Amino acid sequence: MRDDAHSQRGDVKRTDGKAVSRVSVVDESPPRPGPPEGAADEEYRWHSYAVHPSGRPDAVRFVDTYKSFGRSHVLRGLNMALPEGMVSMILGPSGTGKSVCIKHMVGLLYPDSGDVLVHGRSVPDMPDDELFEMRKKFGLLFQDGALFGSMNLFDNVAFPLRQHTEKGDDEIEEIVMRRLNEVGLGDSRTRMPNELSGGMRKRAGFARALVLEPDILLFDEPDSGLDPVRTALLGELILEIHREMIEEAKRKQREHLPTFCVVTHDIMSARRVADYINVLWKGRIVEAGPAEEMLGSENPFIRQFLSGESQGPLTMD
Amino acid sequence: MEDLILTPRGWIEAFGEIVRFAARMLREVASLRVMRFFGEALRQAGILIVSSTLVIWGLVFIIGLECGIEGAYFTYGEGTPAYSGVFAAWCDLRELVPLVFGYMMAAKVGTGIVAELGSMRISDEIDALEVMGISGMRFLCATRLLAALMVLPFVYLCSIAAGFFASYLAVVQQIGYVSSGGFFLIFWQFQNPPDLLYSLIKAMAMAIVIVIVGCYYGYNASGGPVGVGTATAKSMVLNLVSVHLIGMLGTQLFWGANPRAPIGG
Repeated sequence: MRDDAHSQRGDVKRTDGKAVSRVSVVDESPPRPGPPEGAADEEYRWHSYAVHPSGRPDAVRFVDTYKSFGRSHVLRGLNMALPEGMVSMILGPSGTGKSVCIKHMVGLLYPDSGDVLVHGRSVPDMPDDELFEMRKKFGLLFQDGALFGSMNLFDNVAFPLRQHTEKGDDEIEEIVMRRLNEVGLGDSRTRMPNELSGGMRKRAGFARALVLEPDILLFDEPDSGLDPVRTALLGELILEIHREMIEEAKRKQREHLPTFCVVTHDIMSARRVADYINVLWKGRIVEAGPAEEMLGSENPFIRQFLSGESQGPLTMD
Repeated sequence: MEDLILTPRGWIEAFGEIVRFAARMLREVASLRVMRFFGEALRQAGILIVSSTLVIWGLVFIIGLECGIEGAYFTYGEGTPAYSGVFAAWCDLRELVPLVFGYMMAAKVGTGIVAELGSMRISDEIDALEVMGISGMRFLCATRLLAALMVLPFVYLCSIAAGFFASYLAVVQQIGYVSSGGFFLIFWQFQNPPDLLYSLIKAMAMAIVIVIVGCYYGYNASGGPVGVGTATAKSMVLNLVSVHLIGMLGTQLFWGANPRAPIGG
């Protein structure tokens, strides 16, 4: 059923039963999609659905994804892509399903209908063992770091290495300390998570997400609860580490370039960090494209949201 | 009226979910996939030993004392003080030690699991595990069940010893209406080796249910700290009911047809 839907849209072509990534291209003027069931066309009048090309293959792609929790319809026919090798942002007002998107990418949630593709492979169709294997491609920084409360900082960061690799203690120590030093926590290795501030927990979560050198790194609201200066510093750290990882991936000739995805509603972070921006509202993408094009968008909703003004289509409703 | 129909339906649905969850946990252990995290299972076993054994033995010891004291005075009042060993042999082994073991397991271990897994769930730690490619069910739940299976038979056998010892102390050393030899004559006459096995089966059934119920409510906790509190309370209620059901059904199954005292006549 799902395969039929793909082939009708021509979004994903499968050869020998395997899906392949495609390159994002400018909308070839298909008919404008209708509103989701139960919604008025008026509600989606600012959704231009325009996708400006990134010129890169998609690391992650949502295809007509629907997800509801009881009466709350969160994703309502979402089509969205995260281009490979870029720092992408999913921007949107609070409560539009940004974190839900992240959970779909790593298979913590499954769509009610539609598909989520990671490097061309359908996540909802994966059997459990393959899913756990696929998740090793991901690093995820949770809002509060999600450090294990029963372990100190060093053990938290070393945990994925101990579970998934055969590395010896010395090598693990070297990798963990390199990552801890990168995020400025080298001196806190023996401290427990409850002894750390919110910002430190986020940075520790960042270090833990990095140790397995993931292909795709997801950040769930990294700026929540941080002051503007620390938010800016964290943004710089994200960019710096992305640059390093890209160089390393090129040197090692890895199959996929590292893709970062930051979910936030903080416009300043978006301006500083993003290469590519997806603006999400009411469960669909309003408009998506490289940051410079999005920041110059003529769409009144995008302009209002990216400039943080109170006047415009977005209201308290 | 609608509530009267909906509430039992909710219970049945919840029961079905617990059974499905239990089947997954047992499959993880039986298929030995949990052995990938044997180190974690050993750590959990260590936590069980260090944090729960003394309190279980302590409670069983007190119950053994009570059982002995009441038995001694009752048999003395009836003119058969030599038979006070019956209480230790039957009351301790068959009923009170398994029940008290179940109570303390539910209160100490079951609620501990709910609180720990529940707080891990609401602080995204379980999601973090899953995103690292580690099955939370296997790493958190199956390892705890394996630890319980490795450790609790020994803890329980020691509990029985503590109960017997307490009854002996009360009957022979404290009250002294019967000699040590007289006490043991009746004590051993009223039990067979299979009784110990049956008692162990009862207690282990309770322990397995308690660990599964604890894991279920913790693993599926939602609604923030209040939700974890509610889940802990629910698990305690279900565990206490389960402990009594297992106790009652076990007695009926193992000793119901005992020719010395057939239940039901």
